[in-house]
This record gives sequence, C-alpha cells and structure tokens, in this order.
Amino acid sequence: MIEKELIEECRNGDLHNFRKVVEKTSQMIFPVAFRMLGDEDSARDVVQDTMVTVWQKLAKIKNAESYRTWVYRITVNKCYDQLRRQKKQNERRYDDQTWAIISNHISEEGITELDNSENARIISLLTDKLSPKQKAVFVLSELEDIQADEISELTGMSKSAIKANLYHARKNIESLLQKYL
Amino acid sequence: MKMTAENDRYKKIIEILRSSRPVLARPEEIEDEVIIRIQRRDHQADRVTDFMSSLFGWVYIGWVRRSLVAAAAIMVSVFIYQQALILKQVNNISRQPVVIGSEPLPGSMTGFDNKLMLYKFSNRLLPGKEIKISEKQLDQILESYDDLRSKYKDLIRIIEEDPELKKYIEEKLDENRKYKPDI
Repeated sequence: MIEKELIEECRNGDLHNFRKVVEKTSQMIFPVAFRMLGDEDSARDVVQDTMVTVWQKLAKIKNAESYRTWVYRITVNKCYDQLRRQKKQNERRYDDQTWAIISNHISEEGITELDNSENARIISLLTDKLSPKQKAVFVLSELEDIQADEISELTGMSKSAIKANLYHARKNIESLLQKYL
Repeated sequence: MKMTAENDRYKKIIEILRSSRPVLARPEEIEDEVIIRIQRRDHQADRVTDFMSSLFGWVYIGWVRRSLVAAAAIMVSVFIYQQALILKQVNNISRQPVVIGSEPLPGSMTGFDNKLMLYKFSNRLLPGKEIKISEKQLDQILESYDDLRSKYKDLIRIIEEDPELKKYIEEKLDENRKYKPDI
C-alpha cells in the first residue's frame, strides 16, 4: 500500500520520493499489464510508460485516495494501446506445447505455481481470441479479484457491460479448453 | 456432466493463474529508466520554457502570457502562409513569357501593314529612331507604294477628264480648307 503522504509529496514535484512510488506502484500494476498482454517485456514497457504518465499527471488527481484506481486506469489504457499494436504485428497460431503444459497442470493434484514464462504462454494462449475489453474484465475480475464497482470505475464500462464481457471471455476460454484438452 | 467438466477445468486453470502472480524481475531497472525518462522530458520542457520566458518573461499575468504566445504563434503561421502564397505567385509569374517592347510581336501575320496595325492596337509605340524590317517586308512596302502611285495617277486622270467632277472636288476641298480649325 502506498502512503498518502508520499503521493502528496510527489504531487508537489518531489522526484526523489517518486522513486519510492515507482517501486511500490510497479509491483502493483505489473501483474495487470503482464496478464492483459501475456508478455513480460511488453508489460515492463507498459509499467514504465504508466509511471512516466503518472509523474506528468500526478498533480491533476483530486486526492491521494483515488491514486490506486487512477493508476490502474492508466495501466489498462496503456495495455489497450499495446494490444492494438500487437494485433497488427502478429497473429498467434495453435501451440501444442502450451496446451500440453496446461493439461499437465490441470491433471495434477493441488495447485502448482507457474513461473513467468509459463504463465505468459498460458495466458497468452487462453486470451488470444478475446477483445481488449474482454481481456481487461477477465484479468481484473477473475485474476486480480477486483470488484465490479471498481472495474467499472477504472475501465469506464457499465456493470452490465462488465458482466457481458466476462461471460463472453469465460465462454471463449471454456470452449478452448473443451476443444484442445 | 460435460458442462461440469469444462467448469472444473476452467476453475482449476483460473486458480493456477491466480496463485501464480507474475513477479517483476529487476524492479530497479524500471525505476532507473522511469527517472531517466522523466528527467529527460523535464529537461526538454525546460528548454521550451526558457525560450518562452526569454520571449514573454516580461509579462507576469499568466493568461496574458498565454494569449501572447498564442497570438505570436498565429502571426508566425499567417506570415509563413503569406510567404508561401507570394512565392507561389512569383513562380507562376516567372513561368509566363516576357514580351519586351522593342521586339516584334509574335504571330502569324505576314504583312508589314498588319504588323503596324497590331502595334497600334496593342498601344505600343514603334521604336522611334530605327526599325528593323526584312527584305521581304521592304519589297512589300515598295510594291504597295507603286500600287498606290499608279492608283493616284488613275484618279488624277479621271478627275482631269471629267470637268464636273473636277469642279465638285475643288469646291469640297475649298470647303474643307474653310472649316478646318487652325492648329
């Protein structure tokens, strides 16, 4: 959790303290970017861009309390931009190795933790066909466990739109699991 | 039954993904890079600010300064637009043929008389001291002179042969002389 005082000091242009904010915020937003993009390097880039934007616009936020939601909103928007660029670059193909990894993990007893590389491959494969909005809702709701109210606030989507996007995302992933496992 | 199996798989994979929170490796690299980018941007912004303050630093009221900056930007844009427009027009003019007064007018007319008429219509003076004409044009002049001369002789002969006509012409000439204003 980031202290309000730290945010307030940074709002007054304290770059030294901003380093501490970067340290804490990066840990908070990196998983969101990573899960939305399914790529570690792209997620690092998004984190950097987000933090530069945070510094530039920090003075404009109403109060330190709204910092968390505000930072998440910037991150999600940066991810949207990145996804648009990625879509132009490459279309993914069927990846039997990753499906084998998923199959192994599902069939294992208990929950095994994934490293970043496996995690990226699996998320990337499962969410490849989702729209950016569906990805955002899926990641924030299912993986980050953020409540619908807050998702609505940070994505600008209505609650019904969030529900619909989550439903479609879930259906899509389930149909992939059914098809390839 | 099938739905339950899909559900279970979905739940399992979500649980796995949830518990495997991505770890940010080498966070200090991101911190350094962010700080460098911010300082670089601030430095660039400083340069613009310095330039602006050197131009408009004497104005202390914020909105007046902003208005002056906007006005200056508009004026510079208008000036550039105007210059571009003038340059375009100058280019257009330079592409048009230049006709110098002493040069003969181009055209398909061959007769020297016609050319004289053309000079007259175009309100241009014939060169005062000298005029260049070709041999062909000289022949034409001499030819027309001879023609005129023979027509004049014929006219005189006709008048001499007809006393009434002669008398009539002399009367008309007298009248003309009488009413001719003194210059």
